[in-house]
Amino acid sequence: MASGVAPPRDPRHGGYSPFLTRMNIVVIGLSHRSAPVKLRERFAFADGRIPGALQALRDSGLAAEAAILSTCNRVEIYAATALAPDAACAALKNFLVQQSTIGRRDSGLECGTPLPLSDAAVKAPEDWRTPKPAGSSTAPVFSDAILAGDEIYFHAEPHSLQHLFKVAAGLDSMVIGETEIFGQLKDAYELAFTHRHTGARLNKAFQRAFNVAKHIRTVTNIQRGSVSVMSAAVELAEKIFSSLAEHEVLVIGAGETSEKTARALLSRGARGVIVTNRSPERATALAAELGGRAVPFACWPEEFEQVDIAISSTAAPQPILDRAQLEPLMKRRKHRPLLLIDIAVPRDIDPAVSALDNVYLYNVDDLQVIANEYLALRQEEVARCETIIAAKVAALLAAKPPLAADEPS
Amino acid sequence: MAWFTDRHYFLLAVICYGLSTVYSVFLWRKGFRRDEWVNYCLLAAGVLLHTLAMTKRGLTIHSCPVNNLYEATTFLLWALGLACLVYSLLPRFKFLAAFTAPVLFTVGVFALMPSLDPPPGPKPDFSNWLRSLHAATILQAYGAFGLAAAAAGMFLMQRHDLKFHKLRALLTLLPSIQRLELITFRLVGVGFALLTFGLAAGSQLPRHAGKPYFSDAKVLWSALLWLVYLEAIVAYRLLGRSSRRFAIGIIIAFAYLLLTFWITNIYSGLHN
Repeated sequence: MASGVAPPRDPRHGGYSPFLTRMNIVVIGLSHRSAPVKLRERFAFADGRIPGALQALRDSGLAAEAAILSTCNRVEIYAATALAPDAACAALKNFLVQQSTIGRRDSGLECGTPLPLSDAAVKAPEDWRTPKPAGSSTAPVFSDAILAGDEIYFHAEPHSLQHLFKVAAGLDSMVIGETEIFGQLKDAYELAFTHRHTGARLNKAFQRAFNVAKHIRTVTNIQRGSVSVMSAAVELAEKIFSSLAEHEVLVIGAGETSEKTARALLSRGARGVIVTNRSPERATALAAELGGRAVPFACWPEEFEQVDIAISSTAAPQPILDRAQLEPLMKRRKHRPLLLIDIAVPRDIDPAVSALDNVYLYNVDDLQVIANEYLALRQEEVARCETIIAAKVAALLAAKPPLAADEPS
Repeated sequence: MAWFTDRHYFLLAVICYGLSTVYSVFLWRKGFRRDEWVNYCLLAAGVLLHTLAMTKRGLTIHSCPVNNLYEATTFLLWALGLACLVYSLLPRFKFLAAFTAPVLFTVGVFALMPSLDPPPGPKPDFSNWLRSLHAATILQAYGAFGLAAAAAGMFLMQRHDLKFHKLRALLTLLPSIQRLELITFRLVGVGFALLTFGLAAGSQLPRHAGKPYFSDAKVLWSALLWLVYLEAIVAYRLLGRSSRRFAIGIIIAFAYLLLTFWITNIYSGLHN
């Protein structure tokens, strides 16, 4: 089929006859890689609005099958369309912009500057059959000042499928290898499937994407390791203690990071939490929030006998714990292992304490180094994942029937 | 196949231990990142061949094969290898094989020296069941001590990596250091109980007339070994010795056991 040639229309099948046309899967959208949050939020679809938007998309004849993925980091429309990619690109962009306006009006938000579609908006890829690198887009797209031109990307096969597989595997995520997107993609697909907006092409593509994502997680290290300070602290605790269920956490200074770290430890089964802070009200409030107990700031050294993990993040200009203080405490603890996480800057815990047996001290830089090293390891795995994805996409396309045989009614 | 003796089976077992040792070095270089069955299978093959060697020898001499240094050493290694296979089935303990294989290989090569295996005399020395029990229990105790030393080695490596903020500590599939410490202590406890029982059984055996019991080099050495492990247990449990010192002590104690085991046997009138 030549680029730009419209296929024959058939009103019984959403505009295009499935027996005469070849459906191509395309994707259009914007993500954290291409657009800032202030723009992404204007295009975001509320869950309740997605079925209507999908129906509108199919009724317009632009796509025979469609699914919408809308998360805080991306808004994407996956569609099986009989249109040539250049035409599909322009039409879908138009649709996306219209929907963004509708969304803002429906939600009662300030519309602000409208997002008019310029003539250039319908400019499609020069040759849709020539593979374009990931993240490629049509520029300029919109004349609106908000859209510089490359925020919205469009991919046709095979890059649309590669993009879908990458998204499912977390390769296109802000934190490479994260798994939340897998669930979000699954929800998006199920929503479209339940409302009968998917057919043979999208069903197969999404199912294959989920399988490939699972396969990648199994055979590569893309998901391995902690890429945040909090999760690195939790992982450390699990490498020191057999089970967190037997260990209590002491939070010194009720800062945000220490709170998050304590929460992460509690979620992994830590027995309980003790909170201390210069402001007793803040300590009591945080302790109540975490289901622990608050102790006066002057009394926290007395708690060291029973806790095994301490997270410190006070604003004290000098260390609040040094070797001379800790040495007798360790004897009273009968040399049980003690994990000290010092998130404060300047540091709360004198580095000399790490010379003591059974004391494991990590400051915020140490944790950040761990998180960065893990991230680097994940980056190293990306090439491996992309090779797997390329092979799986090639296999999927090789198995594709020449003409679409069915589509949702 | 008459030429294929029990020593040949043991030689094949030592080759398996050697391959496991080489593979262990590879795993160590890789940071013990993958849950590994290859090493376990190599060790299992070695223990199987080892068992065949000991069974063949036992059937030949019609008694427990602990009559000379070769037999005693192979029995010790067998106890160590078997215990390692069992413990490796615990979650995250498969890498114990990587720490045990080098001991099995080096001591196995030493045991293959022909001078350690003189032809059996007219009467087996261990025809008495109490003697067999004494020897077998003590050698099993040595096996448990060897395994404890391997677990202590894992503990020290993991502790070092955690203490000095090595990413390897998190990437590795080794168990937590608290678990390693517990396993080390339990193995020492089991070994100590077996050693105590074995020595008690030995004290009931007939002695050389007119020779004080404690004048025998092996008896003295065994008593010293018992005291060394008793001190390690008491200091750790009751006197607050740190886990690092306990682990180092257990490794030194086992090294002492391995290095002096043969010498004391040679100089022992009761055991030679």
